[in-house]
Amino acid sequence: MDDRDVVVPGAVEVRTALRLDPLYRLAGSALTSPYVLGAVLALLAVAAIVFGPSTESRFIYTDF
Amino acid sequence: MADRLGVRRVGAAEPQVRSVTQVGTVFVLQIVATAAALLFGVDVVFLAYFPTFPRLADNFSSAYLERQMRQLAGAHPIVVLGDSVLWGYRVSAAEAAVTRLRSRDPRWVNLAYEGGSSANTYAMLRILGNAGVVPHAVVFNVNLKEFNGEDSAYDKLYPGVERLAWPLLSPAERAKLVPVAPQTFDSRLNAVVEAIWPFYAMRADEREALFSEQDAAHALQNKIEAWNGTAARKAEAHRPTPDKFEGTYDLSPLDEENTGVFFLRRAAQALRDAHVLAYAILTPTNHRLLHEYIDVPEYRAQLRFIRRLLSSYGVRVLDYDRAFSPGEFLDNDHLTPAGNARLAEMLGREVAP
Repeated sequence: MDDRDVVVPGAVEVRTALRLDPLYRLAGSALTSPYVLGAVLALLAVAAIVFGPSTESRFIYTDF
Repeated sequence: MADRLGVRRVGAAEPQVRSVTQVGTVFVLQIVATAAALLFGVDVVFLAYFPTFPRLADNFSSAYLERQMRQLAGAHPIVVLGDSVLWGYRVSAAEAAVTRLRSRDPRWVNLAYEGGSSANTYAMLRILGNAGVVPHAVVFNVNLKEFNGEDSAYDKLYPGVERLAWPLLSPAERAKLVPVAPQTFDSRLNAVVEAIWPFYAMRADEREALFSEQDAAHALQNKIEAWNGTAARKAEAHRPTPDKFEGTYDLSPLDEENTGVFFLRRAAQALRDAHVLAYAILTPTNHRLLHEYIDVPEYRAQLRFIRRLLSSYGVRVLDYDRAFSPGEFLDNDHLTPAGNARLAEMLGREVAP
Protein backbone atom coordinates (compact mmCIF):
# COMPACT_ATOMS: atom_id res chain seq x y z
CA MET A 1 0.00 0.00 0.00
CA ASP A 2 1.31 3.40 -0.79
CA ASP A 3 -0.01 6.83 -0.16
CA ARG A 4 -2.04 6.88 -3.40
CA ASP A 5 -4.30 3.99 -2.25
CA VAL A 6 -7.76 4.90 -1.00
CA VAL A 7 -8.86 3.00 2.07
CA VAL A 8 -12.61 2.36 2.22
CA PRO A 9 -13.87 1.25 5.62
CA GLY A 10 -15.42 -2.28 5.55
CA ALA A 11 -13.81 -3.24 2.23
CA VAL A 12 -11.80 -6.47 1.90
CA GLU A 13 -8.77 -7.17 -0.18
CA VAL A 14 -9.24 -8.99 -3.49
CA ARG A 15 -7.11 -11.87 -2.16
CA THR A 16 -9.40 -12.27 0.83
CA ALA A 17 -12.52 -12.04 -1.31
CA LEU A 18 -11.28 -14.79 -3.59
CA ARG A 19 -10.61 -17.08 -0.66
CA LEU A 20 -14.22 -16.69 0.45
CA ASP A 21 -15.54 -17.71 -2.98
CA PRO A 22 -16.83 -21.37 -3.04
CA LEU A 23 -15.21 -22.10 -6.40
CA TYR A 24 -11.88 -20.80 -5.21
CA ARG A 25 -12.15 -22.93 -2.10
CA LEU A 26 -13.01 -26.03 -4.17
CA ALA A 27 -10.06 -25.40 -6.47
CA GLY A 28 -7.79 -25.18 -3.48
CA SER A 29 -9.18 -28.20 -1.63
CA ALA A 30 -7.82 -31.75 -1.50
CA LEU A 31 -10.66 -32.89 -3.80
CA THR A 32 -8.96 -31.23 -6.73
CA SER A 33 -5.51 -32.53 -6.03
CA PRO A 34 -4.05 -34.19 -9.14
CA TYR A 35 -4.03 -37.54 -7.31
CA VAL A 36 -7.77 -37.47 -6.66
CA LEU A 37 -8.48 -36.31 -10.21
CA GLY A 38 -6.20 -39.08 -11.54
CA ALA A 39 -8.12 -41.66 -9.52
CA VAL A 40 -11.42 -40.31 -10.88
CA LEU A 41 -10.04 -40.51 -14.43
CA ALA A 42 -8.97 -44.15 -13.92
CA LEU A 43 -12.37 -45.00 -12.45
CA LEU A 44 -14.14 -43.43 -15.42
CA ALA A 45 -11.96 -45.39 -17.85
CA VAL A 46 -12.72 -48.71 -16.11
CA ALA A 47 -16.44 -47.93 -15.89
CA ALA A 48 -16.56 -46.97 -19.58
CA ILE A 49 -14.97 -50.31 -20.52
CA VAL A 50 -17.15 -52.44 -18.25
CA PHE A 51 -20.48 -50.71 -18.87
CA GLY A 52 -19.83 -49.60 -22.45
CA PRO A 53 -21.72 -51.06 -25.41
CA SER A 54 -20.30 -54.07 -27.20
CA THR A 55 -19.00 -52.73 -30.50
CA GLU A 56 -16.42 -55.43 -31.18
CA SER A 57 -16.64 -57.42 -34.37
CA ARG A 58 -18.73 -60.43 -33.40
CA PHE A 59 -19.43 -63.55 -35.38
CA ILE A 60 -23.17 -63.58 -35.84
CA TYR A 61 -24.29 -67.09 -35.11
CA THR A 62 -27.72 -68.04 -36.39
CA ASP A 63 -29.22 -71.36 -35.44
CA PHE A 64 -32.25 -71.37 -37.76
CA MET B 1 32.62 -17.00 0.30
CA ALA B 2 30.44 -14.20 -1.00
CA ASP B 3 28.28 -14.44 2.14
CA ARG B 4 31.30 -14.21 4.39
CA LEU B 5 32.38 -11.05 2.61
CA GLY B 6 28.90 -9.64 3.20
CA VAL B 7 28.09 -9.52 -0.45
CA ARG B 8 24.53 -10.51 -1.33
CA ARG B 9 24.03 -12.40 -4.56
CA VAL B 10 21.48 -10.63 -6.64
CA GLY B 11 18.40 -12.80 -7.15
CA ALA B 12 19.58 -15.64 -4.89
CA ALA B 13 16.78 -15.29 -2.40
CA GLU B 14 14.09 -14.31 -4.88
CA PRO B 15 11.25 -16.84 -5.11
CA GLN B 16 11.19 -19.01 -8.24
CA VAL B 17 8.17 -18.00 -10.30
CA ARG B 18 6.64 -20.60 -12.64
CA SER B 19 4.38 -19.62 -15.48
CA VAL B 20 0.72 -20.68 -15.58
CA THR B 21 1.59 -23.04 -18.48
CA GLN B 22 4.27 -24.79 -16.44
CA VAL B 23 2.00 -25.19 -13.44
CA GLY B 24 -0.81 -26.48 -15.66
CA THR B 25 1.45 -28.97 -17.42
CA VAL B 26 2.75 -30.38 -14.15
CA PHE B 27 -0.82 -30.63 -12.84
CA VAL B 28 -2.05 -32.52 -15.91
CA LEU B 29 1.00 -34.81 -15.88
CA GLN B 30 0.34 -35.64 -12.25
CA ILE B 31 -3.28 -36.54 -13.10
CA VAL B 32 -2.25 -38.73 -16.04
CA ALA B 33 0.54 -40.43 -14.07
CA THR B 34 -1.84 -41.19 -11.19
CA ALA B 35 -4.47 -42.60 -13.56
CA ALA B 36 -1.85 -44.67 -15.42
CA ALA B 37 -0.43 -46.08 -12.19
CA LEU B 38 -3.91 -47.04 -10.94
CA LEU B 39 -4.88 -48.62 -14.27
CA PHE B 40 -1.65 -50.61 -14.26
CA GLY B 41 -2.57 -51.83 -10.77
CA VAL B 42 -6.05 -52.79 -12.00
CA ASP B 43 -4.41 -54.76 -14.85
CA VAL B 44 -2.12 -56.67 -12.50
CA VAL B 45 -5.01 -57.64 -10.19
CA PHE B 46 -7.27 -58.40 -13.15
CA LEU B 47 -4.77 -60.73 -14.84
CA ALA B 48 -4.14 -62.54 -11.56
CA TYR B 49 -7.77 -63.07 -10.59
CA PHE B 50 -9.89 -63.08 -13.75
CA PRO B 51 -11.46 -66.56 -13.92
CA THR B 52 -11.02 -69.16 -16.63
CA PHE B 53 -14.50 -70.06 -17.84
CA PRO B 54 -15.64 -73.70 -18.10
CA ARG B 55 -16.22 -72.97 -21.79
CA LEU B 56 -15.39 -70.03 -24.03
CA ALA B 57 -17.61 -67.01 -23.54
CA ASP B 58 -20.30 -66.33 -26.12
CA ASN B 59 -18.23 -63.44 -27.45
CA PHE B 60 -14.71 -64.37 -26.37
CA SER B 61 -11.75 -62.19 -27.30
CA SER B 62 -8.46 -63.17 -28.89
CA ALA B 63 -6.74 -61.91 -25.71
CA TYR B 64 -8.74 -64.37 -23.59
CA LEU B 65 -7.89 -67.19 -25.99
CA GLU B 66 -4.19 -66.30 -25.84
CA ARG B 67 -4.36 -66.31 -22.05
CA GLN B 68 -5.99 -69.75 -22.05
CA MET B 69 -3.33 -71.02 -24.45
CA ARG B 70 -0.61 -69.88 -22.03
CA GLN B 71 -2.40 -71.76 -19.24
CA LEU B 72 -2.60 -74.94 -21.36
CA ALA B 73 1.01 -74.91 -22.54
CA GLY B 74 2.85 -77.58 -20.59
CA ALA B 75 -0.34 -79.42 -19.64
CA HIS B 76 -1.56 -82.32 -21.76
CA PRO B 77 -5.24 -81.53 -22.02
CA ILE B 78 -8.02 -83.36 -23.80
CA VAL B 79 -9.04 -80.53 -26.09
CA VAL B 80 -12.57 -80.34 -27.45
CA LEU B 81 -12.99 -78.32 -30.65
CA GLY B 82 -16.01 -77.74 -32.80
CA ASP B 83 -19.28 -75.90 -32.90
CA SER B 84 -22.22 -74.97 -30.70
CA VAL B 85 -23.23 -78.63 -30.24
CA LEU B 86 -20.12 -79.35 -28.16
CA TRP B 87 -20.02 -75.80 -26.74
CA GLY B 88 -23.48 -76.43 -25.23
CA TYR B 89 -25.89 -74.14 -27.03
CA ARG B 90 -28.91 -73.09 -24.94
CA VAL B 91 -27.81 -75.10 -21.93
CA SER B 92 -25.92 -73.66 -18.98
CA ALA B 93 -22.15 -74.09 -18.82
CA ALA B 94 -22.61 -76.61 -15.97
CA GLU B 95 -25.00 -78.69 -18.08
CA ALA B 96 -22.76 -78.85 -21.16
CA ALA B 97 -21.25 -82.26 -21.90
CA VAL B 98 -17.62 -81.13 -21.68
CA THR B 99 -18.16 -79.36 -18.35
CA ARG B 100 -19.60 -82.62 -16.98
CA LEU B 101 -16.54 -84.49 -18.22
CA ARG B 102 -14.25 -81.82 -16.77
CA SER B 103 -15.83 -82.17 -13.34
CA ARG B 104 -14.57 -85.77 -13.31
CA ASP B 105 -11.29 -85.25 -15.17
CA PRO B 106 -9.80 -81.70 -15.27
CA ARG B 107 -7.84 -82.54 -18.41
CA TRP B 108 -10.98 -81.89 -20.50
CA VAL B 109 -10.95 -78.38 -21.97
CA ASN B 110 -13.83 -76.98 -24.01
CA LEU B 111 -12.56 -74.80 -26.87
CA ALA B 112 -15.63 -75.29 -29.04
CA TYR B 113 -17.73 -72.23 -29.82
CA GLU B 114 -20.83 -71.03 -31.61
CA GLY B 115 -19.96 -70.61 -35.25
CA GLY B 116 -17.49 -73.48 -35.39
CA SER B 117 -16.72 -75.40 -38.60
CA SER B 118 -13.90 -77.43 -40.15
CA ALA B 119 -12.05 -74.21 -41.01
CA ASN B 120 -12.39 -73.02 -37.41
CA THR B 121 -11.26 -76.39 -36.03
CA TYR B 122 -8.14 -76.27 -38.21
CA ALA B 123 -7.43 -72.65 -37.21
CA MET B 124 -7.68 -73.60 -33.53
CA LEU B 125 -5.29 -76.48 -34.07
CA ARG B 126 -2.79 -74.04 -35.57
CA ILE B 127 -3.20 -71.69 -32.60
CA LEU B 128 -2.70 -74.58 -30.15
CA GLY B 129 0.43 -75.68 -32.00
CA ASN B 130 1.82 -72.18 -32.14
CA ALA B 131 1.28 -71.77 -28.37
CA GLY B 132 3.19 -75.00 -27.68
CA VAL B 133 0.13 -76.87 -26.39
CA VAL B 134 0.57 -80.62 -26.83
CA PRO B 135 -2.83 -82.22 -26.21
CA HIS B 136 -3.23 -85.74 -24.88
CA ALA B 137 -6.15 -86.01 -27.30
CA VAL B 138 -8.27 -83.80 -29.54
CA VAL B 139 -12.00 -84.39 -29.88
CA PHE B 140 -13.90 -82.44 -32.53
CA ASN B 141 -17.28 -82.65 -34.17
CA VAL B 142 -18.02 -82.68 -37.87
CA ASN B 143 -21.39 -81.17 -38.69
CA LEU B 144 -22.58 -81.74 -42.24
CA LYS B 145 -24.59 -78.51 -42.29
CA GLU B 146 -21.26 -76.60 -42.14
CA PHE B 147 -20.20 -78.06 -45.51
CA ASN B 148 -22.97 -76.00 -47.06
CA GLY B 149 -21.62 -72.84 -48.73
CA GLU B 150 -24.60 -70.95 -47.29
CA ASP B 151 -23.61 -71.72 -43.70
CA SER B 152 -22.30 -68.67 -41.82
CA ALA B 153 -19.16 -70.54 -40.68
CA TYR B 154 -18.40 -72.33 -43.97
CA ASP B 155 -15.52 -70.08 -45.01
CA LYS B 156 -15.25 -67.63 -42.12
CA LEU B 157 -13.31 -67.81 -38.90
CA TYR B 158 -14.61 -66.50 -35.61
CA PRO B 159 -13.07 -62.98 -35.30
CA GLY B 160 -10.96 -63.73 -32.20
CA VAL B 161 -9.66 -66.91 -33.80
CA GLU B 162 -9.03 -65.24 -37.13
CA ARG B 163 -6.86 -62.63 -35.45
CA LEU B 164 -4.55 -65.24 -33.93
CA ALA B 165 -4.65 -67.80 -36.72
CA TRP B 166 -4.42 -65.62 -39.83
CA PRO B 167 -0.61 -65.11 -39.65
CA LEU B 168 -0.20 -68.88 -39.16
CA LEU B 169 -2.13 -69.87 -42.29
CA SER B 170 -0.56 -70.50 -45.67
CA PRO B 171 -1.56 -68.34 -48.66
CA ALA B 172 -3.56 -71.28 -50.06
CA GLU B 173 -5.46 -71.61 -46.80
CA ARG B 174 -6.14 -67.88 -46.58
CA ALA B 175 -7.40 -67.88 -50.15
CA LYS B 176 -10.14 -70.31 -49.12
CA LEU B 177 -11.42 -67.95 -46.42
CA VAL B 178 -13.35 -64.70 -46.34
CA PRO B 179 -11.74 -62.45 -43.70
CA VAL B 180 -14.16 -61.00 -41.17
CA ALA B 181 -11.98 -58.49 -39.29
CA PRO B 182 -12.75 -54.94 -40.46
CA GLN B 183 -9.76 -53.06 -41.89
CA THR B 184 -10.70 -49.63 -40.59
CA PHE B 185 -8.76 -46.96 -38.72
CA ASP B 186 -10.95 -47.68 -35.70
CA SER B 187 -10.08 -51.39 -35.69
CA ARG B 188 -6.35 -50.65 -36.06
CA LEU B 189 -6.47 -48.20 -33.18
CA ASN B 190 -8.32 -50.79 -31.10
CA ALA B 191 -5.61 -53.34 -31.89
CA VAL B 192 -2.89 -50.95 -30.72
CA VAL B 193 -4.66 -50.22 -27.42
CA GLU B 194 -5.44 -53.92 -26.91
CA ALA B 195 -1.78 -54.83 -27.42
CA ILE B 196 -0.70 -52.68 -24.47
CA TRP B 197 -3.74 -52.90 -22.20
CA PRO B 198 -5.03 -56.40 -21.30
CA PHE B 199 -8.01 -55.08 -19.32
CA TYR B 200 -9.24 -53.34 -22.47
CA ALA B 201 -8.38 -56.29 -24.72
CA MET B 202 -10.56 -58.65 -22.66
CA ARG B 203 -13.52 -56.30 -22.31
CA ALA B 204 -15.91 -58.69 -24.07
CA ASP B 205 -15.05 -61.47 -21.61
CA GLU B 206 -15.35 -59.13 -18.61
CA ARG B 207 -18.82 -58.04 -19.69
CA GLU B 208 -19.94 -61.62 -20.17
CA ALA B 209 -18.55 -62.55 -16.76
CA LEU B 210 -20.40 -59.67 -15.11
CA PHE B 211 -23.68 -59.59 -17.05
CA SER B 212 -23.87 -63.04 -18.73
CA GLU B 213 -24.53 -61.05 -21.89
CA GLN B 214 -22.51 -59.17 -24.47
CA ASP B 215 -22.97 -55.89 -22.55
CA ALA B 216 -24.94 -54.22 -19.77
CA ALA B 217 -27.52 -52.81 -22.18
CA HIS B 218 -28.43 -56.27 -23.51
CA ALA B 219 -28.58 -57.66 -19.96
CA LEU B 220 -31.02 -54.90 -19.01
CA GLN B 221 -33.05 -55.49 -22.15
CA ASN B 222 -33.30 -59.22 -21.31
CA LYS B 223 -34.56 -58.41 -17.81
CA ILE B 224 -37.20 -56.09 -19.24
CA GLU B 225 -38.27 -58.62 -21.88
CA ALA B 226 -38.53 -61.37 -19.27
CA TRP B 227 -40.65 -59.06 -17.11
CA ASN B 228 -43.05 -57.88 -19.83
CA GLY B 229 -43.44 -61.27 -21.53
CA THR B 230 -41.59 -60.43 -24.76
CA ALA B 231 -38.99 -63.15 -24.06
CA ALA B 232 -41.69 -65.83 -23.78
CA ARG B 233 -43.32 -64.65 -27.03
CA LYS B 234 -39.94 -64.69 -28.83
CA ALA B 235 -39.20 -68.22 -27.54
CA GLU B 236 -42.61 -69.40 -28.77
CA ALA B 237 -41.96 -67.93 -32.25
CA HIS B 238 -38.49 -69.53 -32.30
CA ARG B 239 -39.71 -73.12 -31.95
CA PRO B 240 -37.98 -75.44 -34.42
CA THR B 241 -40.22 -76.76 -37.15
CA PRO B 242 -39.04 -78.69 -40.23
CA ASP B 243 -39.70 -75.79 -42.63
CA LYS B 244 -37.12 -73.66 -40.83
CA PHE B 245 -34.35 -76.05 -41.90
CA GLU B 246 -35.00 -76.00 -45.61
CA GLY B 247 -31.66 -75.25 -47.25
CA THR B 248 -29.63 -75.95 -44.09
CA TYR B 249 -27.96 -78.96 -45.69
CA ASP B 250 -26.44 -79.01 -49.16
CA LEU B 251 -26.42 -82.64 -50.17
CA SER B 252 -24.37 -82.28 -53.35
CA PRO B 253 -21.50 -84.78 -53.41
CA LEU B 254 -18.54 -83.56 -51.34
CA ASP B 255 -15.20 -83.05 -53.04
CA GLU B 256 -11.90 -81.23 -52.53
CA GLU B 257 -13.37 -77.99 -53.87
CA ASN B 258 -15.55 -77.76 -50.79
CA THR B 259 -13.92 -75.46 -48.23
CA GLY B 260 -15.15 -77.65 -45.38
CA VAL B 261 -13.53 -80.72 -46.91
CA PHE B 262 -10.32 -78.77 -47.60
CA PHE B 263 -9.94 -77.75 -43.95
CA LEU B 264 -11.13 -81.08 -42.58
CA ARG B 265 -8.33 -82.78 -44.50
CA ARG B 266 -5.83 -80.19 -43.22
CA ALA B 267 -7.00 -80.73 -39.64
CA ALA B 268 -6.74 -84.52 -39.90
CA GLN B 269 -3.30 -84.19 -41.47
CA ALA B 270 -2.11 -81.80 -38.74
CA LEU B 271 -3.29 -84.17 -36.01
CA ARG B 272 -1.58 -87.15 -37.65
CA ASP B 273 1.67 -85.19 -38.10
CA ALA B 274 1.60 -84.12 -34.44
CA HIS B 275 0.95 -87.75 -33.32
CA VAL B 276 -2.06 -86.63 -31.30
CA LEU B 277 -4.89 -89.03 -30.49
CA ALA B 278 -7.79 -87.69 -32.52
CA TYR B 279 -11.53 -88.40 -32.28
CA ALA B 280 -14.09 -86.99 -34.69
CA ILE B 281 -17.75 -87.00 -33.71
CA LEU B 282 -20.28 -87.22 -36.52
CA THR B 283 -22.67 -84.70 -35.00
CA PRO B 284 -25.85 -85.99 -33.36
CA THR B 285 -28.72 -85.07 -35.66
CA ASN B 286 -32.46 -84.96 -35.10
CA HIS B 287 -33.64 -87.23 -37.90
CA ARG B 288 -37.28 -86.98 -36.91
CA LEU B 289 -37.24 -83.18 -37.34
CA LEU B 290 -35.11 -83.22 -40.51
CA HIS B 291 -36.50 -86.44 -41.98
CA GLU B 292 -37.64 -84.98 -45.31
CA TYR B 293 -34.27 -83.33 -45.96
CA ILE B 294 -31.65 -85.78 -44.74
CA ASP B 295 -33.06 -89.29 -44.75
CA VAL B 296 -31.87 -89.70 -48.31
CA PRO B 297 -28.95 -91.58 -49.91
CA GLU B 298 -27.06 -88.31 -50.59
CA TYR B 299 -26.83 -87.54 -46.89
CA ARG B 300 -25.53 -91.04 -46.13
CA ALA B 301 -23.01 -90.66 -48.97
CA GLN B 302 -21.68 -87.46 -47.38
CA LEU B 303 -21.27 -89.23 -44.03
CA ARG B 304 -19.40 -92.07 -45.75
CA PHE B 305 -17.11 -89.56 -47.50
CA ILE B 306 -16.28 -87.84 -44.20
CA ARG B 307 -15.76 -91.13 -42.38
CA ARG B 308 -13.42 -92.40 -45.10
CA LEU B 309 -11.42 -89.15 -45.22
CA LEU B 310 -10.89 -89.06 -41.46
CA SER B 311 -10.08 -92.76 -41.14
CA SER B 312 -7.38 -92.44 -43.81
CA TYR B 313 -5.48 -90.11 -41.43
CA GLY B 314 -5.96 -92.32 -38.40
CA VAL B 315 -8.70 -90.19 -36.84
CA ARG B 316 -11.12 -92.34 -34.86
CA VAL B 317 -14.68 -91.61 -35.95
CA LEU B 318 -17.45 -91.65 -33.35
CA ASP B 319 -20.65 -91.91 -35.35
CA TYR B 320 -23.30 -90.22 -33.20
CA ASP B 321 -25.45 -89.15 -36.17
CA ARG B 322 -28.35 -91.36 -35.05
CA ALA B 323 -27.26 -92.03 -31.49
CA PHE B 324 -29.77 -89.68 -29.81
CA SER B 325 -33.55 -89.83 -29.62
CA PRO B 326 -35.71 -86.87 -30.77
CA GLY B 327 -36.50 -86.03 -27.13
CA GLU B 328 -32.83 -85.35 -26.46
CA PHE B 329 -32.71 -82.47 -28.98
CA LEU B 330 -33.62 -78.82 -28.59
CA ASP B 331 -33.71 -78.41 -32.37
CA ASN B 332 -31.92 -79.98 -35.34
CA ASP B 333 -28.62 -80.79 -33.59
CA HIS B 334 -28.35 -79.06 -30.20
CA LEU B 335 -28.88 -81.34 -27.23
CA THR B 336 -31.00 -80.87 -24.12
CA PRO B 337 -29.33 -81.05 -20.68
CA ALA B 338 -30.24 -84.78 -20.60
CA GLY B 339 -28.79 -85.20 -24.10
CA ASN B 340 -25.60 -83.45 -22.99
CA ALA B 341 -25.38 -85.76 -19.97
CA ARG B 342 -25.58 -88.81 -22.21
CA LEU B 343 -23.07 -87.34 -24.66
CA ALA B 344 -20.69 -86.86 -21.73
CA GLU B 345 -21.09 -90.51 -20.72
CA MET B 346 -20.45 -91.70 -24.27
CA LEU B 347 -17.38 -89.49 -24.75
CA GLY B 348 -16.00 -90.39 -21.36
CA ARG B 349 -16.19 -94.09 -22.22
CA GLU B 350 -14.59 -93.64 -25.66
CA VAL B 351 -11.88 -91.06 -25.02
CA ALA B 352 -10.77 -91.22 -21.41
CA PRO B 353 -12.17 -94.36 -19.80
